[in-house]
Amino acid sequence: MLTAPNLISVGIAALLTAGLYAVMSYGLAIIYGVMKVINLSHAGFLMLGAFMTLVYFQRWHLDPLLGALLNLPVFFAAGWVLYAVLVRRVMTSLPIASLLLLFALWLVLQNVALAIWGSEDQSIITAYTYKALPVLGFRIPLTRLLVFGVALATLGVLHFVLGHTYVGKALRATVQDPQAGVLVGIDTERISAVAFGLGTAFAAFAGSLLTLLFSFTPDFGGPFQLKSFTIIVLGGLENFAGVTVGAAILSFVESYAVLFMKASLQNVIAYALLVVALIVMPGGVAQLWTRSRS
Amino acid sequence: MTAALALEHVTKRFGGLLAVSDVSIEVAPGQITGLIGPNGAGKTTLFRVISGGLRPSAGRVFFEGREITGWSPHAVCRLGVCATHQIVRPFPDLTVLENVLVAAAFGSGGRLAPRSPRAEAEEVLEFTGLASRGDAPAAALTLAQRKRLEIARALATRPSVLLLDEALAGLTPTESQQAVALIRRIRDRGVTIVMIEHVMRAVMDLSDRVLVLNYGRLIADGPPRAVTSDPQVIEAYLGRALEEA
Amino acid sequence: MRALSARLPWARGAPWAPRASALAALALGILLALVPAVAPRDITLLNLGFFTFLYVAQGLAWNVLGGYAGYVSFGYAAFFGLGAYTTALLWLAGWPPLATYPVAGIVAAAFSLIVGVPTLRLVGPYFSIATIGVGEAMRVLMLNLDRITGGASGLNLPTAVPSKTWFYTTSLLFAAVAFAVAAWVRGSRVGLGLMALRMDLEAAESLGVRTALFKNVAHSLGAFLVGACGGLYATFLQYVHPDTVFSFTESISLVLIALIGGLGTVWGPVLGAVVFYAVQDYLQTSYPTFHLLVYGVLLILILLFEPKGLAGLAERAWRRMRGAPARLAPAGPSGAEPAAPGRGGAG
Repeated sequence: MLTAPNLISVGIAALLTAGLYAVMSYGLAIIYGVMKVINLSHAGFLMLGAFMTLVYFQRWHLDPLLGALLNLPVFFAAGWVLYAVLVRRVMTSLPIASLLLLFALWLVLQNVALAIWGSEDQSIITAYTYKALPVLGFRIPLTRLLVFGVALATLGVLHFVLGHTYVGKALRATVQDPQAGVLVGIDTERISAVAFGLGTAFAAFAGSLLTLLFSFTPDFGGPFQLKSFTIIVLGGLENFAGVTVGAAILSFVESYAVLFMKASLQNVIAYALLVVALIVMPGGVAQLWTRSRS
Repeated sequence: MTAALALEHVTKRFGGLLAVSDVSIEVAPGQITGLIGPNGAGKTTLFRVISGGLRPSAGRVFFEGREITGWSPHAVCRLGVCATHQIVRPFPDLTVLENVLVAAAFGSGGRLAPRSPRAEAEEVLEFTGLASRGDAPAAALTLAQRKRLEIARALATRPSVLLLDEALAGLTPTESQQAVALIRRIRDRGVTIVMIEHVMRAVMDLSDRVLVLNYGRLIADGPPRAVTSDPQVIEAYLGRALEEA
Repeated sequence: MRALSARLPWARGAPWAPRASALAALALGILLALVPAVAPRDITLLNLGFFTFLYVAQGLAWNVLGGYAGYVSFGYAAFFGLGAYTTALLWLAGWPPLATYPVAGIVAAAFSLIVGVPTLRLVGPYFSIATIGVGEAMRVLMLNLDRITGGASGLNLPTAVPSKTWFYTTSLLFAAVAFAVAAWVRGSRVGLGLMALRMDLEAAESLGVRTALFKNVAHSLGAFLVGACGGLYATFLQYVHPDTVFSFTESISLVLIALIGGLGTVWGPVLGAVVFYAVQDYLQTSYPTFHLLVYGVLLILILLFEPKGLAGLAERAWRRMRGAPARLAPAGPSGAEPAAPGRGGAG
């Protein structure tokens, strides 16, 4: 099994998956960074994003990639409204209240989806679903390359938005120091609403991309959500660049571990990493080389 | 006589920041010691190193000759060193009596026997003048009452050494006087007190001895009058501007 | 400790409340215990009782850590599953089912310590997330340990089972034990410590509460009871499968029961479980997970409007019925608003 071509092909696969993982986790990271809220409804929006993509595809023959773009404004609005109606009200209570509220929201979304679409597996088959391209002598499914490309593009756009727009700068300032943010005149309520909208939009966007690679049901978001937690914890929770690092670590560890263990155990790695990372390095991987805790 | 509390070369670093630097102190039993210094001098950090909230980067802490360096806060408390918090933190949903009961039931480490925690809690409320508020939820207290509750809870652990972190901050002059009287009565019970305080009059009135911290270092140590006339201390508080002017 | 637990003024202004509550529970228990004698052939009723009591017991068990100490765990399915498999394997090895339940509880409690010692050091929400990871990791692991757990095909258990009446009564007994434990803990020194650490971990610790110890005691107490329930459940079904007994749905059911019933109250999980199972049972055939939708909506409403859940609502209704005004926090002598906390800044 441990042949050189094998190791390289696993490496390529891991890199491609890392892109998907990063996109999947940005929404969670934005909401946590700005609001310090762990969004347990992330899975619900991943799932809903996927189903909306299916709806666009069936109604208007809209390609999933375009569906992903359409999801951005739709779910940004949805997230904004949810923040204003629900989330805002528990922001002043204990952190556990917002966690539970978003958990309840996940339950509701999941079961509403069950009522609408039933529990059967759904999938979207496009003209290019089964195409593959040669890369470094390996045949790589086109969908995976597309998802990776979109992930890179998203990274670029996000970097630009955070670095060069007022909203982006305000978001970053709030992540770094909420109180200082208030002092320089940033409206935290507004920024929280924007963050929740963006987080929701990114979750749905990632959900659309997932439809290119996987079939889905109303409860398919769970494992992806847990992996997203692992990624942002590995990345240091408050650090957007850390998300990319976390995604890469998880993806590479998972991909290479499968060479040594049963493939069905793959998810255990992410879950175990989540628990271990939370306990031993609350500051993320970066903590390992910045300074030891005193 | 063994010191009630002794620090040997205690240092505490946060990353690159030196919060407490090589501090050695011995506190005699039954005294009131004032701990003063500008904001950010490391006073609260020092308290947390003593009471177990923080492990010192170097140095050792002793209570009545017994090393307690790095012990957890509950163990330090049960042994007889109890600290109050600068920002008062009563258990909001418990009554005032229940708040004190927590301390009596857990913190006293067997020193109450044969008395029940309940009886002790009631006695402490009486002593601190909170008896009439015993059944009120702690969240309904005024700031002055909360400050007193913070002291009452600490007292109910039957400490030998009591660390008071700005017990007077935010009080009106009248409330302040009552608190000073209370602290004096606590000392009269034989409790050794170390207090961080910014209200200078209270420090001067109460303290048998004053310690001054600046940038984590102990820069003065002595009777109140002597310390306040120390040029180093004046400089720490007022800066060099005085000399230049 | 005994003396203290008897004298704690939990129910402010109503010193009779704990005793009345215990008497009410006793009366209800006796009444329910008589049901099989009255209707020995009503299988539907006995099954309804069995499942409801099982949920009551688990909701109460979850509430010890989740409600009293405020550590919300989404991972109790691990304890339920371990209990179920312990009973399954011992039963297959020839043990009588009843003898396996304490062992099931002990296995679950031992596992809760292994998990709890490191994870209970995490503050609230991070603990919750970690428990999801632990719970799901256990499910996937068990699914892959086919030699022991039967993997994806599960394990068939002996076909000779006790009567429905036996199950009903045993389950009721479990609920009664869980109630007694939950009520005792709440009134005891341990309960006082748990509630103090929920409100302010650091303050509790600095007043001498061994917070790490108490959290773990609460966790393993809950795990023991839930593990035993898992064992009883396995006996009833005569079949265990990792996806059922280790399911995330099992974990969240307990969270929902306690939260909707009333976090940190003794009667809350009882109410919560009754409503939970009633809704689930009613909708089971037409729409298997609809109760989760109902409970999701209920949970949102409760978080927004009544943090004490159904128990809180019931209390309010009770006060209104008796014409007593809702109890307000008595104002200070000066009638002043609670003052702002002291100023911040490091010394």
